[in-house]
Amino acid sequence: MDIRDLGTVRYEDALRVQTELLEERIAGKVPDMLIIAEHDPVVTLGRTAEESSIIDRGFFEKENIPIIPSGRGGKVTYHALGQLVLYPIVDLAGKKRDISFYIDFLERTVAKGLNCLGVPAGRISGKRGVWVRDEKIAFIGIAVKRWITFHGVAININNDIAPFSRMHPCGESGIRVTSAKIELGREIDMTAAKGIFADRFERDLEGETWN
Amino acid sequence: MELKLSDLSERFENAVITLWHAAESDRVTKDQDLFEIATDKATFDVPSPCDGVLVKIIKEEGAEVKADETIAMIREDRS
Repeated sequence: MDIRDLGTVRYEDALRVQTELLEERIAGKVPDMLIIAEHDPVVTLGRTAEESSIIDRGFFEKENIPIIPSGRGGKVTYHALGQLVLYPIVDLAGKKRDISFYIDFLERTVAKGLNCLGVPAGRISGKRGVWVRDEKIAFIGIAVKRWITFHGVAININNDIAPFSRMHPCGESGIRVTSAKIELGREIDMTAAKGIFADRFERDLEGETWN
Repeated sequence: MELKLSDLSERFENAVITLWHAAESDRVTKDQDLFEIATDKATFDVPSPCDGVLVKIIKEEGAEVKADETIAMIREDRS
């Protein structure tokens, strides 16, 4: 598996890289990949997002935060600096043709990565995402083409979570959001965090029983 | 040939047809993207299982589908 750290990029630029690597993965020219990125502030609307999920559109307009549609699954979410975004380009055909199983896998590996940072994160039965108590810390929205995955998971590390209160994240009203920084009471070294999640993902991808 | 989600994956949640890439009477080739579905957290481009003609679209864009429901009919080319 290869890892590519894009650093801080616009959402659209990361999507272009994903699309290029997706086509190369479909053609068998590259192995499974993990793209890591941070994004400039942006609100994205997944395929099944409802406009009403953005409670305070004026806030985002005033802050010059673009609101853009995305081909991923899921509903509305927010990205910003200090949030770690993982975009796995992974061939499920050679593993298990089961999208729910893959999302379960993503949630487990992200929860374990957060645990390595010292955050007591886990999954909640019947709910998607990764949680600390009843507060959401990581958000999933993926796409699959020819059984190759793209898009992925956003993990709140150091980012300001206040903008989440201006929307119904993932279309769920009343949802509370947290970050690793809030949970640990200190700023997290992003380079170290990237290393932890990349290492965790690579180990889990190889170690998962896919059949 | 009837096209069903249950033929594609061992386990499929209920989904919504979000986009058709092909129209009725179109010739389609194996692995060509036929339509997109969205589940709770995923979108999935469903490929054609064979070369042939897309004879009938039964589930239009916006329709909810269950795993064992027929979405479309494809007349497979004779080899």
